[in-house]
Amino acid sequence: MEAYLVAIGIIAAIQVLLALGLTVQYGLTGLINFGHVGFFAIGAYASAILSLKGVPLPLCFVAAAGFAALAAWPIGLVALRLRDDYFAIVTLGFSETVRLVITSEAWLTNGVQGIPGIPRLMSGPGMLPQVFVLACLLACCIAAALAYRRIAKSPFGRAIEAIRDNEDALAALGKDPARFKLQVLALGAGLAGIAGAFYAHYITYLVPDQFVPLVTFYVWMAIIMGGVGRVSGAILGALLLMVFLEGSRFLRDIAPGLIGEAEMASVRIGAVGLALILFMIYRPQGLVGDYSRR
Amino acid sequence: MIYAQLAVNGVVHGLIIGLCALAVTLVFGIARFPNAAAGDTMTLGAYAALVAHKASGSLLLAGGAAVAAGALVSFAAWWLVFRPLAGRSVVALLVASIGVAFVIRAVLGLVFGHQQQVFQVPLAFPILVGGLRISPMDLWLGGVAAVALSVVFLLLYATPIGRAMRAVADDPDLARVSGIRPQRVMAALWLLAGGVAAVGGMMLGIKTVMLPDLGWEILLPAFAAAILGGIGSPLGAVLAGLILGVAQEVATEFVGFTYKIALSFVVMLLVLLLRPRGLLGRVEALR
Repeated sequence: MEAYLVAIGIIAAIQVLLALGLTVQYGLTGLINFGHVGFFAIGAYASAILSLKGVPLPLCFVAAAGFAALAAWPIGLVALRLRDDYFAIVTLGFSETVRLVITSEAWLTNGVQGIPGIPRLMSGPGMLPQVFVLACLLACCIAAALAYRRIAKSPFGRAIEAIRDNEDALAALGKDPARFKLQVLALGAGLAGIAGAFYAHYITYLVPDQFVPLVTFYVWMAIIMGGVGRVSGAILGALLLMVFLEGSRFLRDIAPGLIGEAEMASVRIGAVGLALILFMIYRPQGLVGDYSRR
Repeated sequence: MIYAQLAVNGVVHGLIIGLCALAVTLVFGIARFPNAAAGDTMTLGAYAALVAHKASGSLLLAGGAAVAAGALVSFAAWWLVFRPLAGRSVVALLVASIGVAFVIRAVLGLVFGHQQQVFQVPLAFPILVGGLRISPMDLWLGGVAAVALSVVFLLLYATPIGRAMRAVADDPDLARVSGIRPQRVMAALWLLAGGVAAVGGMMLGIKTVMLPDLGWEILLPAFAAAILGGIGSPLGAVLAGLILGVAQEVATEFVGFTYKIALSFVVMLLVLLLRPRGLLGRVEALR
């Protein structure tokens, strides 16, 4: 039971990291990033490939964040000149393209066969390694959350919040919204990259199918349910998401034969869709979001 | 010669992308958000056609069923989801349209399962035209697309409701003060967009294998085509769809099968950077 809880905790903490990354981008700045999973995938693959080449794990994590942030750079340069909705489409296209590259470039990523045997963060018998992973993740989450708080209250934070509220006004004050947006995009992508590295070294096995757009929308569902633009919202949303994902698995396990894996996958997609619709219509600020804003 | 053959193969696929792009661009032009549910509306049309075809054996009835199902569900999505969200930010509409897409796919997955299904259409030998091999089914599908497109363009350019739709696309406020009722235009828009996407979906289902995520795969090329054609330009969307379809087939020769989908992403980026209003689009602020 403890092992199960720790395992759930690890996945939940990865979701929290992803949600925080998106919170910086969408919640604070209003960037509609529909390609979050692309940065997650880049982090996961970068760290996995490097670690198998013998690079020490801490460096792999740094590289994961770095590569993901770097990938955000050109996307940002191209897309940030565009209106919100075009930006959403371009990032969605980006994440699908990342998946295609992972699938096709077998020399690097082993294609659809995937990368097995990725080293764990810490190996050994018993519960200790898992608890260690969870502790590292929690430390990362706390660091990210504190950094987020700091950023939001800093002059930089006020500037990027102003982008969301009125970009033209910010430009009129002599600030360059595009530069701020680029930094925010890279920051969120870097967080997603770190989340990807944790994921790779925890699951120890990567295939392209783990990085479908649905993953992006799980994160969207989490931050919309929890409350947009708030650390507490991102955490609450990620936890609710875990309860939902695990609950659906649990339901299938206690009643085998009632519902198969394929049907359950459909039910999950349907539930995500319904949650997105209902929250958008009835509670766009989420469960703990700011009531004064829509 | 091989390129000519590939181009011919790409035409039907291009028409499919074009039909979906037409649905996307109509909604983008009039309701003013990119509707991510267009792809899954296609899937719905494909499955509706499959059911009707199995029951009756008639492809004509199958087409009718596809159009009816696509139009109805698209209308329902507007009434239940997009209408209450009117006036809210583009994000709200966009995220909700993703939600609609997922709900449609989930229902299709639950009803029809995740096994591959195929249309039982008779196989026929390809016809040789000037050394190019053309399958009769492709000709037939080309005909279907031509009929669907003629109906849409007649509706848009030769009927009062079509004129009203174009007026709202041009300037919603001006249209409103001229006495055009927005709700009627929206209802017509969603019925039309759903029907058009469903026809494309049926063609795609006949051309390939049926799976619940059939249409989602077309969404990105369709967005790319809508942008390449110029947002809000119906003719541009169809032309751009054809160009993309043909380009994808020809590109397969150079970059392999998997990367042909990435081509639409590259095209989309280039258009947005170099000529944001697309081929036939009006000058509109998208920055």
